[in-house]
Amino acid sequence: MAVLNRMDWYDLARTTNWSPTYVTEDELFPPLMSGAFGLPQDAWEKYDEPYKQTYPEYVKVQRDKDAGAYSVKAALERSRIFENADPGWKSVMKAHYGAIARGEYAAASAEARMMRFSKAPGMRNMSTLGCLDEIRHGQMQLYFPHEHVAKDRQMDWAFKAYDTNEWGMIAARHFFDDIMMTRDAISVSIMLTFSFETGFTNMQFLGLAADAAEAGDHTFANLISSIQTDESRHAQIGGPALKVLIENGQKAEAQKRVDIAVWGAWKLFSVLTGPIMDYYTPLEHRKQSFKEFMEEWIVAQFERALTDMGLDLPWYWDIFLKDIAETHHGMHMGSYFWRPTVWWNPAAGVSPDERAWLEEKYPGWNDTWGQCWDVIIDNVVDGNMAMAYPETLPYVCNMCQLPILGTPGKQWNVKDYPLEYNGRLYHFGSEVDRWCFQQEPERYAGHMSIVDRFLAGMIQPMDLGGALAYMNLAPGECGDDAHNYAWAEVYRAMRTAKKAG
Amino acid sequence: MALFPITSNFEGDFVLQLVAVDTENTMDEVAAAAAHHSVGRRVRARPGQILRVRRQGAAEFFPRTMKLGEAGLKPTETVEIIWEAPKH
Ligand SMILES: [Fe+2]
Ligand SMILES: [Fe+2]
Repeated sequence: MAVLNRMDWYDLARTTNWSPTYVTEDELFPPLMSGAFGLPQDAWEKYDEPYKQTYPEYVKVQRDKDAGAYSVKAALERSRIFENADPGWKSVMKAHYGAIARGEYAAASAEARMMRFSKAPGMRNMSTLGCLDEIRHGQMQLYFPHEHVAKDRQMDWAFKAYDTNEWGMIAARHFFDDIMMTRDAISVSIMLTFSFETGFTNMQFLGLAADAAEAGDHTFANLISSIQTDESRHAQIGGPALKVLIENGQKAEAQKRVDIAVWGAWKLFSVLTGPIMDYYTPLEHRKQSFKEFMEEWIVAQFERALTDMGLDLPWYWDIFLKDIAETHHGMHMGSYFWRPTVWWNPAAGVSPDERAWLEEKYPGWNDTWGQCWDVIIDNVVDGNMAMAYPETLPYVCNMCQLPILGTPGKQWNVKDYPLEYNGRLYHFGSEVDRWCFQQEPERYAGHMSIVDRFLAGMIQPMDLGGALAYMNLAPGECGDDAHNYAWAEVYRAMRTAKKAG
Repeated sequence: MALFPITSNFEGDFVLQLVAVDTENTMDEVAAAAAHHSVGRRVRARPGQILRVRRQGAAEFFPRTMKLGEAGLKPTETVEIIWEAPKH
């Protein structure tokens, strides 16, 4: 029997809307969950997905992908890549798995919301496959690190991180809860798939895969590029939804969701991916600077995706373009200086050679972040370690939940963006974070940042020990310098040489 | 006497920090409390200079002997701690 070509039957087969008679349309698709923007079912039937795949095709392709990634892992399991890896590279893996693995499971439920509640049949089909993708990503990114748990207790955070009140995880949860766990199906498609996945997962999963391959970690490189092939498919769920919204006069609402999600994603990447690319990855294995990756993936590609869609660049684009050369240096300094509060060991990344690279990639680095690092380095060289650690909390933003920071040294521009709302004083790290809050204050107003919790007496005793216990960081899990300060030796030698000279 | 949290934005540093002070503290004492968390950690000391306190964005510093409780600041409000060279 002849089999029809997929394109001869796909559109018809997935046209699964009907006119409900036993219940109302609003009962079948509750607006709160469906987010239909007041549009009836037939408006959403015009949703035309760019990626049409059937279930048997999907299973066949996914099976091959899994076979590829798992066989690389099996082949290299005895290679001792992990044992021999630079400690900075191990920190890359720990930060990545902790911040991402369980978030993938959460993303499966966000995809499931689109699968059940979207009024667009094409979206329901694509997100059925997207949901299976995310389950795969969760499983793989827990299975792959598991072989290292016995060797290194911090690897346990691949599973544990999302259950903790560690400050970075509060930030990650706040963002993902906002864009994918607490939004209607259509908003999820715009904020998670179009904004976050089209824009940013390329950075984490392709940019980082390039660094991983350079560093010789082929298991990790294969794993995350395998994941990215799924992301680049289901990231396309949001585009046709945007088209429907724009055609039906809903551009402003669509644009607002894009602007909020892109900013939150940017902040999260500035703390997670920025330090990884510009400080933790060993110098000889760096493919491009974080800023160069951002310019390639976000500025060049995502800008085009936005304008092709008929959307505008976010109103804050000039601020964003300036920040991609700045914010992550501060996020790195913050997670390094407060290193006992993270579940990986930050690599300082400030040896003379690395500083020369930073100065080349970010002209002026030595006069700004370098000024602060000079003081830190002196303390480490002098063995004055008490001064190389903090004794208080950084103030964090009530939107992104990350430290409020700016450029130090000769270009000092650090600034708070406060807002009083219902008698409470909120603090934000930028004009954009404050703007996001103001779009829907009641959505965010009740949340307590880690500093709010500290001030409310929820962290006891009110010292580092109490804070680490609150963040679920057990002894042996707290971060410290990835290289045990070995990088300071060259500064010590330089100083001795200078004295002798 | 009452504990009072302020947010310190210290000239030359990279991050805002929570600093616990007291409403009875003078502005010089507030500056010293903020300096404890910045100077010698990420900001070099500037011998011969003093530190002044102002509300974020204000042109004028608070008087050095003014008590924190008299400054009309809200808890956790951000103050800038600024180096000042001696006047000759
Ligand atoms: Fe995923
Ligand atoms: Fe995804």
